[in-house]
Amino acid sequence: MNNQASTDPITQAVTTEEPRRTFELEDRGFREVPKKWRKFYRHWEGEDDWLGPNEIICPVCKVVIRSKRELRVGDRLYCMPCMSRMVVVEAQDGSLATEVIY
Amino acid sequence: MADFLNSYSIQRWLELCPQGYLEDTVYGHEEGESEAEVLLADDDLRTDAIRSTVQLVVGERAALAASSGLVNAAPDYPSKHFLATQTLDEARHVEIFTQRLFDLGVKKADLESTIDHFANPHLVKFAEVLLEKVDSGDFIAGVVGQNIVLEGLAFSVFEMMETSNRVSNPKFAHTLAGTIADERRHVGFGENRIGSLIKEHPEKKSEIEQMQKDMAYHMLKTFSLSFDEGRDNVDKARDVMGDVGSADFHGTDLSTATSEEMQTVLEQTVIGEFKTRLARIGLEYQAPVGV
Repeated sequence: MNNQASTDPITQAVTTEEPRRTFELEDRGFREVPKKWRKFYRHWEGEDDWLGPNEIICPVCKVVIRSKRELRVGDRLYCMPCMSRMVVVEAQDGSLATEVIY
Repeated sequence: MADFLNSYSIQRWLELCPQGYLEDTVYGHEEGESEAEVLLADDDLRTDAIRSTVQLVVGERAALAASSGLVNAAPDYPSKHFLATQTLDEARHVEIFTQRLFDLGVKKADLESTIDHFANPHLVKFAEVLLEKVDSGDFIAGVVGQNIVLEGLAFSVFEMMETSNRVSNPKFAHTLAGTIADERRHVGFGENRIGSLIKEHPEKKSEIEQMQKDMAYHMLKTFSLSFDEGRDNVDKARDVMGDVGSADFHGTDLSTATSEEMQTVLEQTVIGEFKTRLARIGLEYQAPVGV
């Protein structure tokens, strides 16, 4: 976990690129983690749902992981519901995806 | 290895599970909730619900036997601790789905005969393939079979059932939501623990892939028989339940889909998940023959 926000699931990649957008997170009713972490996760709501630039789906357990900051390639993430660690990568279509770290 | 396993501690399990999303629940659902009246009042629908719940009990009894058996086979204490928490999760699942059978009108004295009568024979075979590995003390094959194949199957089946019951039967949907939360940890442990072990033991791959192939065969036969048995009641259930709105499951609206369409989307979802999960840990999905 990083020092800026100890509960945020992101460990930000070192980068010299332009500053990241930041986001205010609200509790979206995800009860599967203790209260102080709930705003960092939500359920995927099906085909009408969409991901913000600060969100990504955990490939292991399928919950949406949310950060206060825009995600970038190289960021490391922790998914508390399934306890997996992953790194953000660029998918073939240019979108952001994740690779699980074993 | 030890570092990531620290996350799967009993302390974390306590915070997430009994002190977290299960707090104030009664047999997995909110206090005072009951099965839908229309379900209890119609013999065909009630029997259908008993049949499908029996499959959940059979699957969870297998998971209980497997996870408890794997405690002794685990090569390290953090894994034993996690599997001990999983054992309690699985025992809870057996209990809450058994309680649902009672809520649906099964008498306690008739529990085992009801399970014997309705248990899908292919699901029983599916469990036997897994438990043979567990009984022989094969930790790697046992965890792949339990935490990736069985839990991967349960994860998608529970999600589908939770989606279709969310409006028409909130009590059952809430029961399922807690089990889905448990399954997230189980599949997470399976992938994370085995991902590194497979690299250390590549000689195990062919044996494990054969086990997966056998389990997938019985899983698909289970789906086929289950959807056949429930086919006649799909329209009746919709008539009785009334309009419950759309229920999207991987692009299929379960509120309007035919039985064949529901079987197809479930098979595609589970097999798709098997392929990606197995590939991530260095195994190749083996398609069963003759099904």
